[in-house]
Amino acid sequence: MSTKQDDELAQERLVELAAEFYDQFAAGEVPHMDIPTRTKSNIVFDEESKVWVYGDRTSTRSANSVRGARKLLKAAYAIEFLVNQLEESRSSTLRELYYLSESWDNEEAQFNSQDESNQLIEDLEIVSKVTREDFHMRPEESGATLMGPLELREQTRRGEREIHCQKDVGEGGYQIPNNPDTIDFLDHDIDFVLCVETGGMRDRLVENGFDEEYNCLVVHLKGQPARATRRITKRLHDELSLPVVVFTDGDPWSYRIYGSVAYGSIKSAHLSEYLATPEARFVGIQPEDIVEYDLPTDPLADSDVNALESELEDPRFQTDYWTEQIELQLDLEKKAEQQALASRGLDFVTDTYLPERLSTMGVL
Amino acid sequence: MTSIQSTLGEDDGGGIAEELAEGQRAISIAEFFEKNKHMLGFDSGARGLVTAVKEAVDNALDATEEAGIKPDISIEIRESGDYYTLIVEDNGPGITREQIPKVFGKLLYGSRFHAREQSRGQQGIGISAAVLYSQLTSGKPAKITSRTQRSERAQYFELIIDTDTNEPEIQVEEERAPGESELSPTHGTRIEMEMEANMRARQQLHDYVKHTAVVNPHARLVLDEPGLDEPRRYERVEGASLPAETEEIRPHPHGVELGTLLKMLTATESYSVSGFLQEEFTRVGSKTADKVLNNFRDRHFGREMGWSVPRSADVDVESAVEDAVANKGAAATATFAERVADALESRERTTHADVTEIVDTVAEDVEDEFETTFGQTVRENAVEAGWDALRTDLVSDLYALVDDATSTRKDDATISGIAERLADKFRDGDPRHRATRDTVRDYVDRSAEFVVSEDVSFGDTARENVVEALWGAMRTVPDDPPKVRAVADDRDVASELLEAMRETDILAPPTNCLSPITAELVEAGLKKEFDADFYAAASRDAEVHGGDPFVVEAGIAYGGELEDGTVDLLRFANRVPLVYQRGACATTDVVKQIGWRNYGLDQPGGSGMPNGPAVVMIHVASTNVPFTSESKDAIANIPAIEDEIELAIREAARDLKSYLNKRRSMQKRRKKQDVLGTILPEMADKLSEVTGRPRPNIDGALARIMNNVSVERDVDGDSVTLVVENHSDRAETPEITDIVSAEPGDLPDGVSVVDLDDEWFISWEPSIPAGETAELTYTVSGDAEFDVDVDGIETEKLTINA
Repeated sequence: MSTKQDDELAQERLVELAAEFYDQFAAGEVPHMDIPTRTKSNIVFDEESKVWVYGDRTSTRSANSVRGARKLLKAAYAIEFLVNQLEESRSSTLRELYYLSESWDNEEAQFNSQDESNQLIEDLEIVSKVTREDFHMRPEESGATLMGPLELREQTRRGEREIHCQKDVGEGGYQIPNNPDTIDFLDHDIDFVLCVETGGMRDRLVENGFDEEYNCLVVHLKGQPARATRRITKRLHDELSLPVVVFTDGDPWSYRIYGSVAYGSIKSAHLSEYLATPEARFVGIQPEDIVEYDLPTDPLADSDVNALESELEDPRFQTDYWTEQIELQLDLEKKAEQQALASRGLDFVTDTYLPERLSTMGVL
Repeated sequence: MTSIQSTLGEDDGGGIAEELAEGQRAISIAEFFEKNKHMLGFDSGARGLVTAVKEAVDNALDATEEAGIKPDISIEIRESGDYYTLIVEDNGPGITREQIPKVFGKLLYGSRFHAREQSRGQQGIGISAAVLYSQLTSGKPAKITSRTQRSERAQYFELIIDTDTNEPEIQVEEERAPGESELSPTHGTRIEMEMEANMRARQQLHDYVKHTAVVNPHARLVLDEPGLDEPRRYERVEGASLPAETEEIRPHPHGVELGTLLKMLTATESYSVSGFLQEEFTRVGSKTADKVLNNFRDRHFGREMGWSVPRSADVDVESAVEDAVANKGAAATATFAERVADALESRERTTHADVTEIVDTVAEDVEDEFETTFGQTVRENAVEAGWDALRTDLVSDLYALVDDATSTRKDDATISGIAERLADKFRDGDPRHRATRDTVRDYVDRSAEFVVSEDVSFGDTARENVVEALWGAMRTVPDDPPKVRAVADDRDVASELLEAMRETDILAPPTNCLSPITAELVEAGLKKEFDADFYAAASRDAEVHGGDPFVVEAGIAYGGELEDGTVDLLRFANRVPLVYQRGACATTDVVKQIGWRNYGLDQPGGSGMPNGPAVVMIHVASTNVPFTSESKDAIANIPAIEDEIELAIREAARDLKSYLNKRRSMQKRRKKQDVLGTILPEMADKLSEVTGRPRPNIDGALARIMNNVSVERDVDGDSVTLVVENHSDRAETPEITDIVSAEPGDLPDGVSVVDLDDEWFISWEPSIPAGETAELTYTVSGDAEFDVDVDGIETEKLTINA
């Protein structure tokens, strides 16, 4: 759990934000807050931290319009809620906040959708420079897991637990908590961290004993990885100096999964420094693997083509490697799933594909 | 019919014709209308009554206005057994004893028919038709009482119309003293008619009277009818003056037809066409007459084509002219030839007429200098020589003209080809190279025909351009136009004159023959009879149709107590409401084809009558309103009038649009202010809870958001400051009245104070540019109370916190 100091800081920042609105009112100004524009066109590469962060463009949430005024009213209610929650040392999920707003006395302040409340929490994170974990707001458990030779200590609500992520866990592995900063790494025998997109592939690797054979920590991303998953990956890399590789399907959506692990996501670029692992490398499935291993494929849908083209313009993918791969895929007009490797036998991925790829990459 | 005729004819020579002739006789106009009542609007009992009221009231209005009296008209309808009695009484000048029978007892008797002047009645049918209708249905005579302004006694008549002769038949004639007479005003006319009728058209009757009141704001009308608790009164608009007096005008040159023109030409005393035009038409002075005459010349004589002197060496104008002159002395001849040659060579283009003029001028100069005479023959020879020189190379000049007039895609061979053929046509044509426009067109067509082949095209546009270029280069001839007598005798020439008149731009006819209601009074009339939120009116400038000037006016009333649904259309012609045949009326057609959605009214399907709580009124005033029938119910679809109707409606509708837009934006603003007015205080409350500070004042922020003008008061001890901030995007001039319960002091200049029963009214009218602030500071002792009142700014745009 977060420290008392963090809670106080978060509370202080929230009250400061409220005071800012208050002062704007008192001065006869229109209350407003400026927030970096959260779009692809407003992220820039930060040379120092090697991650993508927001650029200079800002959007204004202002009471000048009825819509803007409603947003700020909701912000005021949310601030009060968060301050009280911190005071009482409780926590809640984003979804709970959405439903909780229903109980507020003012209908105008209630959220219309969870997207709206999520977005507001992100806004508050950005302007107060406090993460939502420090607001004690958590997402639903994403269910992402770890499996591999790692021993750690987790501070749970029911006391400290020491867990070995191979020996003390079942087939499912160790479930990553919402705030991975409550974990201390005790000991490990890991050579590298392998992030896997799909559950099927993760299970295949575990069943084939890949983690044991190669001293590898298998992180199950479960699709687009949650913040906690990205955070723990970053900590594994930074604190234990472990190489990180990402293994996904061979389609544009999966490249974005890699992108958010390595470069940070557009929606949370304000936290890139805290979440992104710029050194993470992409294993596959690469478009060139489709050719090389003659994998069974699906044709690209129109939406896939659009997504690929949009990635060509995405500042995060402006590297020779990605340009080459994406253009190749546009030529091939094909995509392949991780499980497509099974067409060469169930052991092909652990016996041939991964060892070959990882050797080429110099990880093995 | 034909077959019977022929069979009968075979049997018995011409006998049948004689037999038939016995049954053939002239029909009196009264007899004709007896059988065709519907043509005058008397088709049914219900409608007959409305029409009779209408005719009587129109007459009354015309009579009073003409005498410069503000009309006071009462209409009374009484049930009398199986019949209805209609009584209409006015305070007009009265009618003389001799005239009364003719006015009421003879169809087509009137003072209006021949005058080009706006009036309600035109043909002199209306009131006598009503008399006729009453006598036909009830068998009773019409009773007329009239007293002229100077007379002590009133004239009383009972008369019917003899339908065989269309002459009044007087049954009773008396002179009555004021006491005996039923006429209430000291002068005026009263008509009483009994007729078969019913009140089924009550709505139309009410509409007619109400609408009459709208367009005659200077009149007072009273309507009493069975079933009304008390008479309906339509008061006059305060200060509404009588319509401007109208004057008769002469016809306008754009509005006559050939037959009329010929009649006028025969009747005129003028000798020259120019005199005729200036004498008999309006808006024609000597300048305009000249313009018409030039156009007339162009049509009658054609224009002359001019040429340049060829640049080639083998054309020597000087020696040619010199050779043409004989026996005038070497020096004089040389000088003459040189000057003529110089003049011709310096000109870009010279026509035969120009050459003649140049030769004449030079000849006269040389005659003076050398004291010799250049006679007619010599001059003619010189002209001939000069003209011959000019004519040597037509092709180059024509080439230049055709080349200019055609697109660059035409190749050289085509253009030279056309130029050569055209040169032939001019050479073969009139020796002075005169041609009318039609002839030129013919030249061009024939030349083009010759050149056109599979590869070469020379289409209509190209031809028209060439004609235009040639015609533009040609000059009007100086010949005297034919005299009036000659024109009158020759239909073709008269038709040329008519075309010339129509072609010439002439000022629109004067409008003093019209008396439009004016936009101001249209609005006042609508305000008087309709309780709406918004009124707009437009009065167009006069236009002309068929020589008759006309003015179109439109008005719109919107909102308020007006009923939602299809928009009500009020139609008027010369201040007379049109009640029937709305569907056949040009005004209706125009209203239906306007896209009302553009103006903020609902219009299902984008055409047809619009919907909304609105009244649209259209008034067409003219010296001769073109109606679709004698009953004068609908205006005919004349394009010129329809255009003006459309423009007038659109003008008024534009005002409606901006009103509706403003209203909508005010509604939106009010809604926004309402929503923000609840959201922002709640936000402020939350913020004060979170920060633990007192609730902040949000008025400033709210005023700024709403771009409002905010008025705030700061009281600091004895010093009071009113702060006005203008957050809007334009300058504002609020009228601020601060009511103080103690006497204020130290007021700056320009701010006045009035003491009323121990309350002091401070009036301050600051002018504040957009985005700026104005302050008023004064002193007041102790615990004074304040109350501020702000005018001159819409309440929606005002935030007061004082």
